Amino acid sequence: MPLQRPVLWVHEEALGPRNPALLAWPQAPALFVFDSAWISSAHISRKRIGFLYESALALPVSLRKGDVAAEVMAFAKCHTADGVVSSRPVDPRLQRIANSIRRQWPIVLLEPDAFVNPPRPPRLGRFSRYWRDAESVVWEGFTSNAS
Amino acid sequence: MDAPLTQLPAPPPLNWAVAEDDLPREFPNRDEFAQDLEQLFPQTEGGLSPLRGGRDAAERQLERMNAKCYGRSRNHLDGAVTQLSPYIRHGVLSLAEVREAVFDQLRQHRQQREDGATLIKELGWRDFWQRIWTGLGDQINNNQEELNTGHDPNSYGRNVPDDIRTGRTGLACMDRFQADLVETGWLHNHARLWLAAYVVHWRRVHWKAGADWFLEHLLDGDPASNHLSWQWVASSFSHKPYFFNRENLERYSKGRFCTDCPSAGCCPFEGSYAQLETQLFAPPAAIGDTGGTHGRERGATFARPSAAAARPKR
Repeated sequence: MPLQRPVLWVHEEALGPRNPALLAWPQAPALFVFDSAWISSAHISRKRIGFLYESALALPVSLRKGDVAAEVMAFAKCHTADGVVSSRPVDPRLQRIANSIRRQWPIVLLEPDAFVNPPRPPRLGRFSRYWRDAESVVWEGFTSNAS
Repeated sequence: MDAPLTQLPAPPPLNWAVAEDDLPREFPNRDEFAQDLEQLFPQTEGGLSPLRGGRDAAERQLERMNAKCYGRSRNHLDGAVTQLSPYIRHGVLSLAEVREAVFDQLRQHRQQREDGATLIKELGWRDFWQRIWTGLGDQINNNQEELNTGHDPNSYGRNVPDDIRTGRTGLACMDRFQADLVETGWLHNHARLWLAAYVVHWRRVHWKAGADWFLEHLLDGDPASNHLSWQWVASSFSHKPYFFNRENLERYSKGRFCTDCPSAGCCPFEGSYAQLETQLFAPPAAIGDTGGTHGRERGATFARPSAAAARPKR
């Protein structure tokens, strides 16, 4: 069933207006949570917190700190939501948080803007192999005005 | 019009009620914001970076971008680097947006594809790291290959020494890089490479200790890019270790460090690449003894900090 009344979880990889969750649900209540366990265990400096905070302040999101999954689920409950929408994270820590939420709430992860969409998955391992597959596709959108 | 530098942009309004345990969204100015952060996050250390977060700051930085100059000068400490990495890392700007901004600039200036090729390739590096991270997950914390330094992996220290952490090595260059890292949360890519090589090869500290130290501070602290770049320096994500000499550092820093360096008479980076290779790495025969890549001819094939060798941290 498609979600009718979701809340949005905005995380550290998507603190901008191109966040696909914010674009899809511009009126939905949204939350960013400072991950207290990560901040402590990784000794994250205050300037990094400040940068994240300033970035989040530019978005229509509520801000909290603590256990991210617990805070997102409490936020969803408070807003009588029927699920959570977010952007698909790359960081395994954020994926684990998404999985924690999924155990108790429906969660939809939307794909962020792609930098390049090659017809076949590019070869990884070394950058040179990836770039051989990706470069021409990246430049497809460019036409020079140079005379 | 931009808000004055001491002010924070007004946050967009919320169309739902504020909860009791929500963190504040309104601050009179940036100084009080910094003071409030001390109360809100007492376990964290340091002050704010002069680099500001948020979309307005990101767009101002994007306007300063000069793709053609970037391509010509990116390896120099005073080169036209973009400083967009903190915004890209946190999605304040998407890679696709920056790609389009580069294309727009080339069109507006009637420039050719070649004029933006280096910067577009650097954006490709960011995409590459994300794809690698998607595949490897937490495995980025482990060696991707055996070290190719000839040294026993267990001989590397597990902590960044205090003199490095606190900027008291007596090496003007490294102490400046430490200060920039800790005070601003941003370092030029070449400075990252030099500092990482110093930590890993000159001080024989495990790359993971250095990588974690960087992540404490870097505003663009991206574990995939950071950890795998440290592994590239260490040689566990490359077939050869990265190192440099004083001549190289002096060239790309325009000699700003060496003139008044307290260690000028005993610079550990002084020497040819061949001399430093002998000093820093065990002979090839020892590589087999430590389970590394066997029989590799190194010598002239060592990584040199040229444009081709530099790594993508904007």
